[in-house]
Amino acid sequence: MRISYLLKCVLLTAKSLLRNRIILLLLLIIPAIFFIVTRYTTSNMPVWCKLATVSEETVVTVSQRELAFIFIALAVAGLLSSFLSLTLIHSQINEHRRLIICGYRSGEIIMAKFLLLMIIILSISVYIAFEISFFFKPRNMFGVTLGFLLVGFVYGSYGMLIGTIFRGELEGILFIVLLANLDIGWLQNPIFYIAAQNKAFIRSLPSFFPSQISLVSAFSEYSITRAVCRSIVYGLIFLIIALLIYSLRMRVRKRMNID
Amino acid sequence: MLEDVSFTVNSGSIMAVTGENGVGKSTLLNIIIGWLKPDRGTIRINENFGFCPQDPLLFPRLTVNENLDYFRTAYGSKLGKNEKMQSRPDELLREFDFWSYRDKKVSILSGGTKQKLNLVISLLHDPELMILDEPYASLDWETYQKFWEYAAYRKKESKSILIVSHFMYDQSMIDELYVIKNHKLVCA
Repeated sequence: MRISYLLKCVLLTAKSLLRNRIILLLLLIIPAIFFIVTRYTTSNMPVWCKLATVSEETVVTVSQRELAFIFIALAVAGLLSSFLSLTLIHSQINEHRRLIICGYRSGEIIMAKFLLLMIIILSISVYIAFEISFFFKPRNMFGVTLGFLLVGFVYGSYGMLIGTIFRGELEGILFIVLLANLDIGWLQNPIFYIAAQNKAFIRSLPSFFPSQISLVSAFSEYSITRAVCRSIVYGLIFLIIALLIYSLRMRVRKRMNID
Repeated sequence: MLEDVSFTVNSGSIMAVTGENGVGKSTLLNIIIGWLKPDRGTIRINENFGFCPQDPLLFPRLTVNENLDYFRTAYGSKLGKNEKMQSRPDELLREFDFWSYRDKKVSILSGGTKQKLNLVISLLHDPELMILDEPYASLDWETYQKFWEYAAYRKKESKSILIVSHFMYDQSMIDELYVIKNHKLVCA
């Protein structure tokens, strides 16, 4: 991995992305729309929320609105990250293949995209946390933000994996919508989880640990260390598989060299 | 698609491959540059080659200079450290008359100007062999003439050019002309 090549790729991919003003605008507007809808459709009625990574018996009573804010923020961070990473992988794939012929390595290009994605996810997480702070004060804001960051990491890596597997963008989008809806949009909802019949299945889904990090941090003082480690492992598995497939897809066949 | 294809591009020569649409010209190029794997056989190539694809493979939201910078980084060690190679992008921009476009975004350039940039990128590292896929498809007349002037200059410098195109007007410039017919490469 050559650092100067990597940095150049990060810089120019970032420039290319930042010049797409519509995407930037949507990144700012989408979370705000979700939060406004949440604010005007939820009440302060108390609801039970199970902190499953602490223990199956740990239940806290929280406001429906506050719970919804955390849950919706996780969904937004996950969805935006996976869509962005899918776009980053799919955009200009042939141009990147040309760069590889000229001397870039596929690993440098995908790592540059991943680094850029992490910068974007970090920005999105901080921005979402900032917006949430207008509506309520979680007990541990750092932990809540870390949960958003990790859901972004896991779903960003998932988006990369889907982007490397499917050549068509529509197939990729449908796969992202499928998992994101099932997982963060539905099954990780603490109100659903508390009465779910098959908890083992829900616990095996990608956003289980990141969701728990944000929930535990927002409403309790329990430790989140184990959930952080497991989220990182989950994201890394997706990322490594994505890296391998991308390298295979972008490889240039060996030729015999003559001078 | 292609059977028993065998040829050599000699140094200081211009070789062209032509044929009807869909006969496998681009497939042949994709095998040479390594994008496709041949069923059997070997390709021996000087790794210091420049490839100019049929469709300009450029980054549309980046400027001309940024595109050149990106590909210059990719060529890396092939460029060397000498001053002549470092100033080569500017020299090529002037040579192909689009110095004034250097700070413009590629997305706003005309098709012909994009094709010029596409060509310039394949020349950035002063390659021993240029592999060109339909290089003059959207060039204007002046650039087309400049292209052949430049090809002649490179030939004098003992550099080789392999052109793949479905039409060949300037056959006088070409040293060896091949046609792909019935899956075979035959000398025209």
